[in-house]
Amino acid sequence: MKTLWNLSLAAALLAGGVYVYADDEKEHTRPIQSKPLSKHDQSATALYKKECGACHMAYQPGFLPKRSWDKTMKGLDNHFGTDATMDTNDTQTIQNHLMTYASKNDRITDIKGAVALRISQTPHFVREHREVTKKMIAQPEIKSIANCTACHTKAQAGSYREREINIPNYGRWE
Amino acid sequence: MKTLIIASMFSLSLMGASTEVVQYMKELSSAAKTENKSFTGFDAARGKEIFTSTHTGKQGKPTSCTACHTTNLSHSGKNALTGKVIEPLSPKANPQRLTSAKEVKKWLKRNFVDVYTREGTAQEKGDVLTYILKN
Repeated sequence: MKTLWNLSLAAALLAGGVYVYADDEKEHTRPIQSKPLSKHDQSATALYKKECGACHMAYQPGFLPKRSWDKTMKGLDNHFGTDATMDTNDTQTIQNHLMTYASKNDRITDIKGAVALRISQTPHFVREHREVTKKMIAQPEIKSIANCTACHTKAQAGSYREREINIPNYGRWE
Repeated sequence: MKTLIIASMFSLSLMGASTEVVQYMKELSSAAKTENKSFTGFDAARGKEIFTSTHTGKQGKPTSCTACHTTNLSHSGKNALTGKVIEPLSPKANPQRLTSAKEVKKWLKRNFVDVYTREGTAQEKGDVLTYILKN
């Protein structure tokens, strides 16, 4: 059974699933997607990681709801002040990928009355980072709260466990 | 003989670009002639000026290609906004560069808009590619 769990975890992480919540104390365990990836899903995941990951970490789609990704994909000509346009086919493939794996849990991603474009605006993110100071983030090694990998050492693989956190010049979280 | 020398100079200056990128540069060259009757060929010095000069970019602040790519094309750079490492642009330092026409078109479009707030002309794009190939 454990093997099965590990396999489905690996599949979910490959698709851009998020293993955020199961820290060592099982403080916030949350189910993750567990269906195996089709060939099409694998190539869409690879395209998403290549294209979006060229400039910043390819954030796991599960961090934002569909409406957020939809707005993001429709505004790539002015993506946080830069041109992030792609050809029509690639844009459509990534759009579909994001729609498939977007968060379906409004409790963690909904911001009342607006469409979040930044993961850092969403309630779960805000709560989880409430003890992180501005001074920590302003360090040149981090630059921005959007730079997940600066502290979450396995963020790119979709894992955000507390024991994997290492804040530059501050060290481990625990 | 003269033709041969010119032909070999042309191919020498394109060393490091794949067949499809060479083809794309030929298309740019034709378009540049249409845009500008006095166009006689791409120029690395003009490309360098485009690449290193500072302009008010899409963010409304002074920026340049070198803000992310640095002035040494054989060195890796850093995205000025996110800090993400950018592998070297020079095909000599990074053989993956200038191998895909699709990638080249995508980045030229994006980066001209980010630095110049407009797309580059065919001549400007060709000049920049010629500069990158020579460095």
